[in-house]
Amino acid sequence: MNLEADIVIVGGGMAGLVAGTIASEGGLSSIVLRKGESATSMSSGAIDVVGYLPDGTIPFESPKEGLVALASLYPFHPYSILGFGEGKPAFAEKVITGVEAAVGWLKDKLKDSVAKIVGGLDSNILSLSILGTTKPTCLIQETMVSDGFANEFDSTLLFLGVKGYPDFFASAAAKSFLEQSEIEQEGPRKVAHSTVRISPFGNTCNISASEIARHLDHDDALGELLPQIKKTVDTLGATHVALPPILGIKNARGNRQRIEEEVGAIVFELLAFPPSIPGLRLQRALEETYRKSGGQLLLGHEALSAYKEKNRYVSVQAGAPRRSIRISTKAVVSATGKFIGGGLRGAEDGLTETVFNLMTVTGNLIQADNIRPYDYTSPFAVDTGGHSIFSCGLTVDPQFRPVMPDGQPDADNLFAAGSTLAGYDYLVEKSGLGVALVSGFYAGKNAADAAKEVD
Amino acid sequence: MGEEEAYEFVTSTLEKERIEPYTREESEVVHSVQQCINCGICLSHCPVVAAVGIYRFSGPRSIAVELSRSPPEFWATGDTIYLCTGCGTCMEVCPKNVNIPEIVNMMRSRILRFRPDLVPKGLHVVRETILEHNLAFVPLEDVEDKTESRDMRLEHYGLPLIETPEEAKSEVLYYPGCQAEERSQEVREAAKIILDRFEVGFTMLEDMCCCGLPSRLMGDKDTAEKLASRLKQRIDELDIKKIVTTCAGCTSNIGDASFAYDWNVPVLHLVEFLTDEVGTDKLAKAFTKPRGKEKVKVTVHDPCHLIRHTSRQLMDKALLLLDLIPDVKVEVSTAADSCCGGGGLVAYHSKDVSKAVVKENLEAIRLLEAQRVVTPCPLCTAQLEDNLFQSGSSIEVDDLTVFIAQRLSNKG
Ligand SMILES: Cc1cc2nc3c(=O)[nH]c(=O)nc-3n(C[C@H](O)[C@H](O)[C@H](O)COP(=O)(O)OP(=O)(O)OC[C@H]3O[C@@H](n4cnc5c(N)ncnc54)[C@H](O)[C@@H]3O)c2cc1C
Ligand code: SF4
Ligand code: SF4
Repeated sequence: MNLEADIVIVGGGMAGLVAGTIASEGGLSSIVLRKGESATSMSSGAIDVVGYLPDGTIPFESPKEGLVALASLYPFHPYSILGFGEGKPAFAEKVITGVEAAVGWLKDKLKDSVAKIVGGLDSNILSLSILGTTKPTCLIQETMVSDGFANEFDSTLLFLGVKGYPDFFASAAAKSFLEQSEIEQEGPRKVAHSTVRISPFGNTCNISASEIARHLDHDDALGELLPQIKKTVDTLGATHVALPPILGIKNARGNRQRIEEEVGAIVFELLAFPPSIPGLRLQRALEETYRKSGGQLLLGHEALSAYKEKNRYVSVQAGAPRRSIRISTKAVVSATGKFIGGGLRGAEDGLTETVFNLMTVTGNLIQADNIRPYDYTSPFAVDTGGHSIFSCGLTVDPQFRPVMPDGQPDADNLFAAGSTLAGYDYLVEKSGLGVALVSGFYAGKNAADAAKEVD
Repeated sequence: MGEEEAYEFVTSTLEKERIEPYTREESEVVHSVQQCINCGICLSHCPVVAAVGIYRFSGPRSIAVELSRSPPEFWATGDTIYLCTGCGTCMEVCPKNVNIPEIVNMMRSRILRFRPDLVPKGLHVVRETILEHNLAFVPLEDVEDKTESRDMRLEHYGLPLIETPEEAKSEVLYYPGCQAEERSQEVREAAKIILDRFEVGFTMLEDMCCCGLPSRLMGDKDTAEKLASRLKQRIDELDIKKIVTTCAGCTSNIGDASFAYDWNVPVLHLVEFLTDEVGTDKLAKAFTKPRGKEKVKVTVHDPCHLIRHTSRQLMDKALLLLDLIPDVKVEVSTAADSCCGGGGLVAYHSKDVSKAVVKENLEAIRLLEAQRVVTPCPLCTAQLEDNLFQSGSSIEVDDLTVFIAQRLSNKG
């Protein structure tokens, strides 16, 4: 049995699910093929738009400021592409309006979900991490909002760990946070740390974030936790409580509210290492948003190849473990991610795109089919300049259509979005989920237009 | 010493060291595990971890990065590795699609070979049964008992009896599998009714033997292969061109064998045989309201061996079928695709784990208004039925094949 959809989207991370939802909203039928979860699910769940310039060390005050800088310095950055009009170079204004539209749209989509987000382009939020350090980001989940402990004169910030949960050491976080605040001469008046006991299966060693979060999704588990937090907060006089992000997979928002009411302090989750619960919540919320919009999410299916007639793709071949299907379509969005997602493959003999055999380029837009990926890494694991292999990928025209060596788009109806794109390094810039959102948003719109052209 | 001889020599020393070299297929599975990037996504999805915690079952990531890397013998993993239900959830969400279920089978095969004392007793019992009867269950000895049980079931489900076709009459083989052959005989009979109703010529094996899945899951590679080649021999003798099954496990396991050994015989679940080969037009005309049955609200359960080991498309087809039946309304359970805990032979030795896993399904089902659960697998049916019943629920479970047969109009 073969399938049909106006738009086929390859990839089920932020970029693909956003593009799919946009397609549904444009009244079109769509199928998202997803072979696995990937970077979106592994992320901290906080949506970065832009934190730094590619070689900068001082964070932008606001994403707006960052977008302006990118538009003038990096005209081929995926954001800057939005500023292109009729062959003219990037206009920062146009970039900002474009990004704002996508951000506003996502905030609205997620407002009733487990991953409700807050924030905007006017300022970067300095979000606290489980290491006690801060990171500039644009949109954070509501459960991570820490409401200004830094500025309040009389505040006491409590880092609260969980016994036997090895990813977070409250005392170490408190210490590095204090060191940082001393340098910056700001912060709460007092910092404290403590631990609580949550024992999902009766043991208190080596417990994982998902076990705790799932446990707290049940009412009675939260009941056990509340008096412990209350006691610690009362003893230490804490006004703000920083917890690792374990407040629940389904009920985090409700749980946070209940804890706040009960203990009378502001409670928030910290950013954590991958794989984190907020990342999982974001992935789930995006999937739910897409399904609700009427789209069909086909899990466990890998796009293997696609067929073109003249200048248009007409079908995509997808495989599951023991069956394969052909999906006829009018437009295609490729949102296959980078090396983790599987959209790009780097080997001794070069960098290849895995589904459509598209041209790959380096961050400097030089063809990358024959590069040795090794040459594009730094000998230092943590290098402020980053590893340039991360800015390799696909190059696209102003409509987000991947471009081939002759400078022409590979097809009239193939669009690309997300981390498969070249010309930006999300690790250095702190722009990963933002680029995925924005490019998914516009690739989805453009694909919808291309599909409508067929009728 | 020639190359062959040298190879023999080396392998014989390995034998002494109790090391078993990987076969070509096994090397592929090992290669798949090497792709693991240690991201931990799988940990948040594994239903066994969710049900019993990583302290008891360290989970798929641990299988990928620790347990499967402790050859030659994997003995140290004995307490953990038998708790995987083989549901494939980890493999489906994994960015690298690491084949955890198959590496688990491979590890179990090493343990069975070199340290059978570490294999849970319950599995030895199943193994003995299979070796003796070529079936996963001890068959009812008395043919009359079996017939009587069949007739009682037919009466209970309101189904007529259809003659079993002779062997060698058709290119389509209907293969019921052990559960439908020995225990849930109504499923086998229902499949016969359906195929007959749509005038599909089919044949059945006179000497049903197990597809080999239980052997594979307990690590008894030799028996699994023996059973597969036995089936192949029968297929060749009868000149079978297509196999139709009603069991999710058989669909995926015989499908795997057909794929691995290039049988060139497609293995279809009845669901897809109906939607793809009989066609929805014919189907729609054939359904009636079952006599004396009211409108019914059902929910479905997706068998792991269909959705994650074969293709998610199969459940879409099952839903399409249900949609064609008048007066049936489907309510979707949030845990429809969550493992029922019946897989991986876990229930044969760690019933508590199996029960903890199915709890997730039961809780989601209870939140619905559905009166029945329908699933295209007799094994999932049995697992859900037992556990719903034991939990005091009045919700009943039907194998989809039976559910369909009950709602077909008479021929002509
Ligand atoms: C560990 C980590 C942490 C991060 N943390 C943050 C953070 O805190 N904030 C932030 O803003 N950014 C973060 N990033 C960056 C950000 O997560 C990514 O840039 C972003 O998620 C990319 O989204 P995407 O949709 O393009 O790709 P992905 O989320 O990687 O999705 C790609 C999808 O394509 C699918 N796919 C690939 N090939 C095929 C095929 N052939 N057929 C079918 N499906 C296919 C994959 O299975 C996957 O579903 C992080 C990245 C990583 C790796
Ligand atoms: S196959 Fe299922 S039970 Fe086994 S490790 Fe993977 S998710 Fe867990
Ligand atoms: S999801 Fe896959 S890659 Fe990630 S830890 Fe699990 S097995 Fe390894």
